[in-house]
Amino acid sequence: MAIRCIVVTPERTEVDCEADSVTLPMYDGSVGILPGRAPMIGRLGFGTLHLATAAGPQRYFVDGGFAQVEGNVVSLLTSRSISVDLLDVGKAEEALEVAQEMPASTPELAQLKDTAVRRARGQLRSAR
Amino acid sequence: MANARALDKRRKSIRNIRKITRTMELIATARYKKAMDRAQAATAYTEQITRIVGRLAAAGLDVQHPLLEQRDEIKNARVLVLTSNRGLCGGYNASILREAMPRIREMKESLPNVDVDVSGKRGVDGLAFRGVTIDEKHLNFEDQPAYAEVEKIAESYLSRYITGELDRLDVIYTKFISTSKQIATVETLLPLGSLGDDTDQDDAGGTNVEYEFLPSAESILEEVVPTSFKVRLFKCFLDAAVSEQVARMIAMKGATENAGDMIKQLSMTYNRARQSQITGEIMEIIGGVEALEG
Repeated sequence: MAIRCIVVTPERTEVDCEADSVTLPMYDGSVGILPGRAPMIGRLGFGTLHLATAAGPQRYFVDGGFAQVEGNVVSLLTSRSISVDLLDVGKAEEALEVAQEMPASTPELAQLKDTAVRRARGQLRSAR
Repeated sequence: MANARALDKRRKSIRNIRKITRTMELIATARYKKAMDRAQAATAYTEQITRIVGRLAAAGLDVQHPLLEQRDEIKNARVLVLTSNRGLCGGYNASILREAMPRIREMKESLPNVDVDVSGKRGVDGLAFRGVTIDEKHLNFEDQPAYAEVEKIAESYLSRYITGELDRLDVIYTKFISTSKQIATVETLLPLGSLGDDTDQDDAGGTNVEYEFLPSAESILEEVVPTSFKVRLFKCFLDAAVSEQVARMIAMKGATENAGDMIKQLSMTYNRARQSQITGEIMEIIGGVEALEG
């Protein structure tokens, strides 16, 4: 029995494939999904989505969003998903530097900076 | 009777124009189809978001978020006007500006600080002509607005809203209802008002599945609200793009038909002019021959 994994971005359906197991990059750590998991809705963080398919492992960078598990269907809603091979380490490092230079003088600004730093770190981790 | 050669020249130029308008119509049709597909893909995303919100509500979570609440005192408001970069699309830009002008004027009278952002060259020119100062200009949106670019704009609005530099955001765009109906509308996107894109949530109670929320329902809500704002703004851009292509398609179709009618009429006048010219020449020859004989 396999899991159907669907990754949807606002522009198009990025991935729609069968997998033996899926590892989701959640907001506070990874979650592995095997067939027959209980229904779940989760908040995604910035990180790598691992798919173990019959054709071999596949990895995608996921830019926040949500995951929903229902039956044997895992659907991910994210604003951006890129195959890990297409990520650029240099650009990710640059993004991290920019994020770290952001001002954090008020709680709101600090929160925005925090999100930007986490996104850049996630991207860098995936790129490596 | 007019000069036959001048008429022929005019007919030729109209024929060339008809060729151009017909091509533009075909291009607009192709772009319209593409834009429509993208709009449908976005609908799949918004439906999923709606479903998640439905599940959150079904789990007994009180849906509350700073982005959803109306602020007591509105000091800084912003209007975003979505127009096209190119012309030759009938009344598309005019109807947007007609909707936008009274709205901007009314807001400027009642609120202390109103800024106007515009997307599209036509809107920039049109509003500048009407004496409205424009704060931000976005000229990079064509028939296929990219989510990454819309997201950047959305994020800048969100951060301004959170930090209190902005209390209200209105978007003026052309809503696509069907191929034969598009209306210029004003929508208040910040504060969001309600989640779920005003569609009926009949599927929310359909399945009696208990969901596990990771890390917690509150944390998910924290993310759902900004995301649904971004997607809604993206939907506005997509609707505007689709409507623009439809408007251009219809305008160019009309132009092509009119050119055809004009050519028909000109052909008739041209033939008559030619005939009368020939008659005149024959008369002259006969007159000459008779003069020689006499």
